[in-house]
Amino acid sequence: MASVHPASYFFGKRRSPWGRRRVLIIALAVYVVALGVLPLARLFVEAFLPGRGGELFGVLLQQWRTPAAQTALIHTLEASALATLVSVLIGVVVAFVLALTDIRNKAALTFVALLPLLVPSQITALAWIELTSSSMFALLGLAPAPGETNMLYSKGGIVLVMGIEHSTLVFLAVRAGLRNLPRDLIEAARLGGAHPLRVARSVILPLALPALLAGAALAFVASIGNFGIPALLGIPGRYTMLTTLIYQHLQGFGPRVLGEVAALAVGLGALAVAGLLLPVVVRGFAIQGGSAPLEPFPLGRSRAWAESLLWILLTVIAVMPLVALLAASLAPALGVPLRFDTATLANYRFALLEQDATLRAFGNSLLLAFTTALVSAAVALPLAYFATLRQSRTARVLDAVAAVPYAVPGTVLAIAIILVFLPPVPLLNVSLYGTIGIILIAYLARFLALVLRPTMAAMGLINKNLDEAAQIAGAPLLLRLRAVILPSVAPSVMAGALLIFMSALNELTVSALLWSTGRETLGVVVFALQYEGNSPAAAAVATISVALTLALAMLATTLRGRLPEGVVPWQA
Amino acid sequence: MIRFGTLLAWLLAAGVVAGMVAGAVAAPSGRLMVYTSQPSDQMAKVVEAFRKTHPDIRVELFRSGTTEVMNKLQAELAAGRPQADVVLIADAVAITQLKNDNRLLSYPGAPASKVPAALIDPDRTYFGTKLITTGIVINTNLVKTAPRSWKDLLPASAAGKTILAHPLYSGAAVIHIGTMVQQSEFGWRYLETLARSGAIAARGNGAVIEAVARGEKAYGVIIEYMAFNAKAKGSPVDFVFPEEGVSAITQPVAILKTSRNVEAAKAFVDWQLSVEAQLQSVTQGYFPIFPDIVPPKGYPPVSSLKIMPGDFAAMLANDESNKRRFTELFGG
Repeated sequence: MASVHPASYFFGKRRSPWGRRRVLIIALAVYVVALGVLPLARLFVEAFLPGRGGELFGVLLQQWRTPAAQTALIHTLEASALATLVSVLIGVVVAFVLALTDIRNKAALTFVALLPLLVPSQITALAWIELTSSSMFALLGLAPAPGETNMLYSKGGIVLVMGIEHSTLVFLAVRAGLRNLPRDLIEAARLGGAHPLRVARSVILPLALPALLAGAALAFVASIGNFGIPALLGIPGRYTMLTTLIYQHLQGFGPRVLGEVAALAVGLGALAVAGLLLPVVVRGFAIQGGSAPLEPFPLGRSRAWAESLLWILLTVIAVMPLVALLAASLAPALGVPLRFDTATLANYRFALLEQDATLRAFGNSLLLAFTTALVSAAVALPLAYFATLRQSRTARVLDAVAAVPYAVPGTVLAIAIILVFLPPVPLLNVSLYGTIGIILIAYLARFLALVLRPTMAAMGLINKNLDEAAQIAGAPLLLRLRAVILPSVAPSVMAGALLIFMSALNELTVSALLWSTGRETLGVVVFALQYEGNSPAAAAVATISVALTLALAMLATTLRGRLPEGVVPWQA
Repeated sequence: MIRFGTLLAWLLAAGVVAGMVAGAVAAPSGRLMVYTSQPSDQMAKVVEAFRKTHPDIRVELFRSGTTEVMNKLQAELAAGRPQADVVLIADAVAITQLKNDNRLLSYPGAPASKVPAALIDPDRTYFGTKLITTGIVINTNLVKTAPRSWKDLLPASAAGKTILAHPLYSGAAVIHIGTMVQQSEFGWRYLETLARSGAIAARGNGAVIEAVARGEKAYGVIIEYMAFNAKAKGSPVDFVFPEEGVSAITQPVAILKTSRNVEAAKAFVDWQLSVEAQLQSVTQGYFPIFPDIVPPKGYPPVSSLKIMPGDFAAMLANDESNKRRFTELFGG
């Protein structure tokens, strides 16, 4: 009797799709809960304890009643919202111009647009401080008079530097989203005689909105949780944000401290979840994606203008900090002006040969970054699938809580992870503390949101019919995910994985508390060198790490023939 | 024929057993865990020198700012499994917090006879190992006449170009601010004037030397060895010991009660208090605490140092309010 489906003939006995789906969802839930939710919940419990007088939720209320906390909250909302606007503006403009017009040298420009994420944020901020006090600015009449406080030490400075730093998040998300635009709609609009700008505004922008909101959500969450820039620019500028306020509380020692810190961190977590719900609440138009790439808009005479403006913008944003980094690494000592006769490689020699921690840190960070990117992408794909195409409530909840470990300051996450993972894991009686495993767990918890957001956005755009057809043909869930869903969302997944790789490579605040001898990370090594007053050596290490990433990028570019289209983000 | 599922189960079980056995066998009997805020490259040399006389002790480090070290300790204590055997941090205020929390082991048998009494805890729970002073660093390109007094920083033209280390981020700054506010000629008035006239506070001494060496600021309040080390490398900086005096920290070392290797910990403390360790500190730019050892080249003799008097108990009691008040003035 020929009632055997063709697919099941190859894949053996067909289990009930319900069983496999439930198992996968449970596995995903365990992953997200064990890594991200459990440690933070353990810490947040301290926030919900009764206060010293015994009143309900006393610790929480006591913290949030102080003017310091309320001011910090307002500052955080203010600065982060404005920084997100800056990021969206830069990211969208660059993504639109690069993806939709016929500008030349797209690959190079795309690559340059990705660079801000490669340079550690404290170095970018320092480069900006140098730029604004340099002679160039003095010529423009914008430099502060000697003795006057640098204008970057203010809300405006924080907004500018954070906005630029996070613009890459928006850029990657939007660009990946633009790949799915339906060609026929846009061609119809142009055939109808619409001006290209009109087409961009009324046809393309609404279609790209889901990806834009995904990028904006990431930029917002990254801003509220940013510690480095508010510390460097906000402290002298007397502009306290929640992350620096939390750090103030970490100064104290004693059982009360955890509760105070947790009470403030709860606030950050709530902001993160709210920020993440934005793309869900404000939904764009979901239309079935096309497969043919768009024909680029010809810019005609304004092409030269557009190219120059774009190069200038990207050079200021991305190349200038790198040049500052390189210059700092070649200087013989702090403050000695760099000239051809004073340039030296001594810092590189010190970093690579005299300090064996550096090479270990490279190995550790590369391993951690690769593993985190890979595992997170593998988890995000089924999670996004269930949340979007299968309308699973569990998956949606998991998606919402995945943002919290990304938004809370790294120090808070590290403390939470110590609380839960210091005692040995039950059954196996092995403690992960002091091993590289605990840093991996922290990274997996922290960075999942980076790949989940773009993947969710892309998942909302793909054609459900394909999946259903495959299901009817008898393909099991895992095969469908691999062969049908993944190719459609590959650009977004890769964009997210790339974001994770770059962020994890330079990560600092989490590994600062979790590392130990032999398990150093790059961020820890660079920060330690700078903290001890040896910034030339710190710059040397950071430069090597940027060079390494560039080398990996070259490798990926040469392999692009073998990889699916759109996987290498800077290749059209 | 073994089914795949069964094979997998056996492999998993074998892995678990192997992990448990490895965990039991690898229980280190010569491991010493040191939590410190001393710079990493220096600690690497310290460990190297220590292991020459104690080759069977395996030293592992956690090195970060004083705040991070205390946070990590706090989290571990809350989780119930503290890992550190020895702490070696910048200032006595932080280590007294540990002492008051009943975390430190008393070690009366430590060979501290040559160490000045002022550097040793009366209950013998911690011992100072170095003398680190806080003074003024200047950028030699921007400052033509070196300041001689702390008061030279007060005029608006100087204060606006001054950067200090923030006590929230630096143990040395905790002691420095605590000492300054106790002096009748300075007090909080001094800091308020500085803040009003445009002085800023930075994250740690590293940020201070960076700002001053690069010429972003002209004056910095910083620990001496960072300034001298930068000067030796060629940075355009110089260090001044103000005439009213300097504040000093002693970088105390202590053993935790919960240490699982008290013998090794005691050996480390003994070594830190020895002549050998003092000689090594001098090569790293620290003032020695034994009177008969020559200080680093270019440093004034220890006996000529004027250290401002400080009431340590009061500093401890006012620690939180000092930090809060400083943060209100300078941001944080």
